[in-house]
Amino acid sequence: MVVSNRSVNPSARRRNFIGPAKMGFVCLLALMVLLVAPTAMAEKYSVTPPTGVYEGKDVKQPIEFPHNTHVKENGINCMYCHTYARRSKVAGIPPTSKCMGCHKVIATDKPRIQKLTKYWEDKTPPPWKKVHDLPDFVHFTHEKHLKTLVFDREFPVENVKEVCAFCHGELENMTVARKVKPLNMGFCVRCHIENKELGAPGDCWKCHK
Amino acid sequence: MSLDNILNNWSDYRKGAEEGGHHDYEHRWTMAINLDVCIGCNACSVACYAENNLAVVGKERFEKGQAMHWMRIERYWDQAADMEHPEQGASFLPMLCQQCGAATCEPVCPVAATYHTPDGLNAQVYNRCIGSRYCSNNCPFRVRYFNFYSYYESAWPSPMEQQLNPDISVRDKGVMEKCTFCVQRIRTVKDRAKMEDRSVVDGEAMTACAQACPTSAIVFGDTMDESSAVSQLWKKHQVKRGTYQSTRGEKANPNLRGYRIFEELNVDPSIMYLERVREDV
Repeated sequence: MVVSNRSVNPSARRRNFIGPAKMGFVCLLALMVLLVAPTAMAEKYSVTPPTGVYEGKDVKQPIEFPHNTHVKENGINCMYCHTYARRSKVAGIPPTSKCMGCHKVIATDKPRIQKLTKYWEDKTPPPWKKVHDLPDFVHFTHEKHLKTLVFDREFPVENVKEVCAFCHGELENMTVARKVKPLNMGFCVRCHIENKELGAPGDCWKCHK
Repeated sequence: MSLDNILNNWSDYRKGAEEGGHHDYEHRWTMAINLDVCIGCNACSVACYAENNLAVVGKERFEKGQAMHWMRIERYWDQAADMEHPEQGASFLPMLCQQCGAATCEPVCPVAATYHTPDGLNAQVYNRCIGSRYCSNNCPFRVRYFNFYSYYESAWPSPMEQQLNPDISVRDKGVMEKCTFCVQRIRTVKDRAKMEDRSVVDGEAMTACAQACPTSAIVFGDTMDESSAVSQLWKKHQVKRGTYQSTRGEKANPNLRGYRIFEELNVDPSIMYLERVREDV
């Protein structure tokens, strides 16, 4: 799967007023830009996602959180809840207050939401379990990966789940998150070697600590 | 790291020794230690212990020379026979990994666990290390430390393990370790700079020892940045990287105090020391 850049060419929008004499030249120029730019951008910004599958174990969570309902049916962005992904090393688990922001009114009759409301009223956070856990000797930052793969590529943020899926699998088809990618060194390194042009480092000390 | 990388790293080492710093560095982390203002208080050593999860090994193992002090203060005494107060002849030398440009530890590692980074540092990858200890035997500065025991079992009794630095791993038995120029701090600073689309500013990256030094004897920075404090110091004292120079004795200007330890070995250390100015006792 190769994800190409989908942003609209900005020069196409900026043609406000041009005299008729220059029109032919501008048209030629625009044609050239339109022809050349997509291939150049595709080359520059295309990303080869890491390969490999892994049969992860089921992690039993305190509340069986349905990712599919939130992501697929309601189209909520990954970074709405995992809000720290773009600004820190860890993507983070949302605080219960974020859940309650919606679930004070939405689906309050469901048993899972009632369980959540109980946690909220008892002022105890649900003891969520970590699913994607890297060893302590590995330095991994979500923010830099998102910067390179999403923001610097001008990849549409509303489709960020496609980038998240590189390492986390298609969570829109899962209920409780499950590890489906190996997340071992070979998995990381293969992607880093293939995407050297994007600035993926190959130095041991970039990740090992 | 593939075999190619190992071989390239070795040839880098050889060229580095012969041609003097040919590497295409991103940064060149460098230090200057002013021995004239060093008071031998050991604050740098303590800071290093705290920052880098160094284990306290205990008296007996210390006597066997198994202490894990990445940053140690060496004491030297003047030997003049007619000295009335010999204690006045004490001088201190903070000794840490010199992060050599042409490091002797690197080519002897059979598994390339120690190698040269694009930042000009001698990296030590703990996961890769098999504990052959060749590197420490080949180090002229004796600044590599071997984990003879699983020190973590006794070094941090509960709840002391809570103070461990999460940015650096706790090493286990059979692994070599050494000063990293606080690479976790450098990494954090570089990450932040990258996120803000700028380059690293001088003074942003600071090692724990430099931060803790009460007399600011330790200056740390990037010599690729011409305007950094440490480059200015190196320039001022006319110490150059890469080239062999027997700095001591040949200097016309006695105010130039800069020298590098074991420079005649041509290992191109990254630490410049500024000689202590002695008054007659």
